[in-house]
Amino acid sequence: MIFLNINNLNVTIDGKQILRDFNLNINLGEVHAIMGPNGSGKSTLANVLAGNEDYEVKSGKIIFKDQNLFDLNIEERAQLGIFLAFQYPVEIPGVNITPFLQASLNSRLKNQNKEEVDNLDFAKILRSKAQELGINSEMLKRSINTGFSGGEKKRYEILQMSILNPEFAIFDETDSGLDVDALRIVTEGINKFKTNNNSFLIITHYQKLLDYIKPDFVHVMRDGSIVKSGDISLASEIEESGYKNF
Amino acid sequence: MTLQDNFENHSKQYIFCDDEFLSKEREKIFIKINSNNFEKKNNESLKNLPFSDLNSFNYFFHVLDDKPKSIIKEKNVYQVDIVNGRSENYEDENIKIRNIFSKDFDKKKYVKDNKDNDIVMDFNKIFLNSGFFLTVKAEAQIKIHLNHNTKKNFTIFQQNFFNFQKNSKVKIEENFNLTENTINNIKSDFKADEYSSIEHNIFQKFTSSNKLFLTSNATCQKNSSFKQFSFNFSDGFVRNFHYAKLNGVFAKAVLKGCFFLKDNNACSNKTFVSHNAENCESNQTYKGILNDISKANYFSNTFVAENAQKTEGYQLSKGILLTDTCAFFSKPELRIFADDVKCSHGSTIGPVDESALYYLRSRGIDKKQAMKMIIASFIEDELENLDEDNINKINNNLSNYLNSV
Ligand SMILES: Nc1ncnc2c1ncn2[C@@H]1O[C@H](COP(=O)(O)OP(=O)(O)O)[C@@H](O)[C@H]1O
Ligand SMILES: [Mg+2]
Repeated sequence: MIFLNINNLNVTIDGKQILRDFNLNINLGEVHAIMGPNGSGKSTLANVLAGNEDYEVKSGKIIFKDQNLFDLNIEERAQLGIFLAFQYPVEIPGVNITPFLQASLNSRLKNQNKEEVDNLDFAKILRSKAQELGINSEMLKRSINTGFSGGEKKRYEILQMSILNPEFAIFDETDSGLDVDALRIVTEGINKFKTNNNSFLIITHYQKLLDYIKPDFVHVMRDGSIVKSGDISLASEIEESGYKNF
Repeated sequence: MTLQDNFENHSKQYIFCDDEFLSKEREKIFIKINSNNFEKKNNESLKNLPFSDLNSFNYFFHVLDDKPKSIIKEKNVYQVDIVNGRSENYEDENIKIRNIFSKDFDKKKYVKDNKDNDIVMDFNKIFLNSGFFLTVKAEAQIKIHLNHNTKKNFTIFQQNFFNFQKNSKVKIEENFNLTENTINNIKSDFKADEYSSIEHNIFQKFTSSNKLFLTSNATCQKNSSFKQFSFNFSDGFVRNFHYAKLNGVFAKAVLKGCFFLKDNNACSNKTFVSHNAENCESNQTYKGILNDISKANYFSNTFVAENAQKTEGYQLSKGILLTDTCAFFSKPELRIFADDVKCSHGSTIGPVDESALYYLRSRGIDKKQAMKMIIASFIEDELENLDEDNINKINNNLSNYLNSV
């Protein structure tokens, strides 16, 4: 099975080219990190994978679990097991966290031909997962991301991931805006979730996050394509002398 | 039929046909409209109005043998059926209902009473053919299901008078069962006596050949509260023009509405609250979802008299536009003559929040359900105080509406 293969991807937005002949292969069980300066197209890549319709795919191919990703819309991709932890999670006042997440989980279970969970069971799952991430139950009564601090938003993204149990999770600068303690809780959550049956793509600016979640591969991205791939030592190189050498 | 034909047709059925003074008044208004000699500029009542329909309908009204009923459904719960504009006379220890007679009207008030050159009220006066009195007695605590049943082709021009006596507590659920090709031009006055508390939920849903022009005037005395919610799911034209006067201290008025439009439907909305006493509160909020090439307008007004200190007045209009061919025009107005007041108004009208939609979908929720979540959240505040029956009814209608999106 091809898990994830991105082949010669070219993407524009409003006529401006952002991804250029982008290539990346990720196998099941692997953790990849992408590092790159602001504006290099990291979030664009994440959003194209998630199916955001604002971007125009000019050419190229993405295969996920042997399926052509471009045949699937946003929700179908999520149901198939793609999860994007957003760089800027949006506030949705009036849409309560709990029923929303239950509907999400059930859409995913349905796709896997599994039995859907009822309110009671879901409340139990939610409470125990929230506790693990240090999210208090008061927060679960609120509207999606509404009035959350930056750290709370990121934590809530990880909570959603651990409940939806995706096979492929993308973290778009999940470390930004987190203090040391919050970073530790979030990365513990991510590490706990990691198994041989899922893969991660971690987008970050800083080596710090990669000290907690050890990637198998590190890629450097500039101007819409990967300019160098290697192991964790690449991250230390960037930490020391920035992106100017790439 | 022309307006002239209708006018002559109706003359025998005019409630005041035995009253020379009012008959003259009726004729005056007719001539004004028929000669097209009325105020058009800045006339809010003309906005989105199907005026040609109004002007060239087929007047049709008669009293049917089929008797309307008023029944007690359970203790303190009443069902009042209005059939083709007529109700049954009924009285018990809680309420009293009877059809109107010409002697019920205060002539001077009747003649003067047309706010802002309201063309719909002009038609109501020319063709008046029905109406009822409904009194809720002092201290009564009741719920009333008020059902308007209008049979095919009937044209109803109605004036109703509600009186809520001291300390009464009333919940009115008003429904419109309109069959086909009906016109319903209904004006209701609500008098809320001291310490009375009224919740008025209006539910509007009917097919496109029907039209409803609903006008209400609430007058609130000391410590009374009048809360109105209208929900418009109609395929036919609806006009909601609702006014409240806060005449006694510590009175409270809430005029809220939600509408859901599609195809080429239109609706016209207006609320007006006059603060004439100290320490009163008001809230005017209308929210709409528009699809296809539908059109809506909302005029809201807060007036605060010089003596009405410590007023709190709040106005809000919100709209979600599902296409770029629908239109929602909103115009809030504030006129304040007192100095110690808290008043505000806000308006947000635009397409559905794409980033919210993306977020929900990216968690596996399909587009329709995600839209439903966003739109349900949009009217969530309005549902807060409704009972379960109403919430279910609104949610069902919302689902139906969204299925057509
Ligand atoms: N919605 C958009 N409209 C126009 N330009 C955009 C949009 N989103 C991103 N861009 C541009 O695309 C480029 C890449 O952005 P992004 O993918 O967010 O980079 P990164 O996440 O690496 O910082 C930037 O130059 C940015 O200005
Ligand atoms: Mg980014």
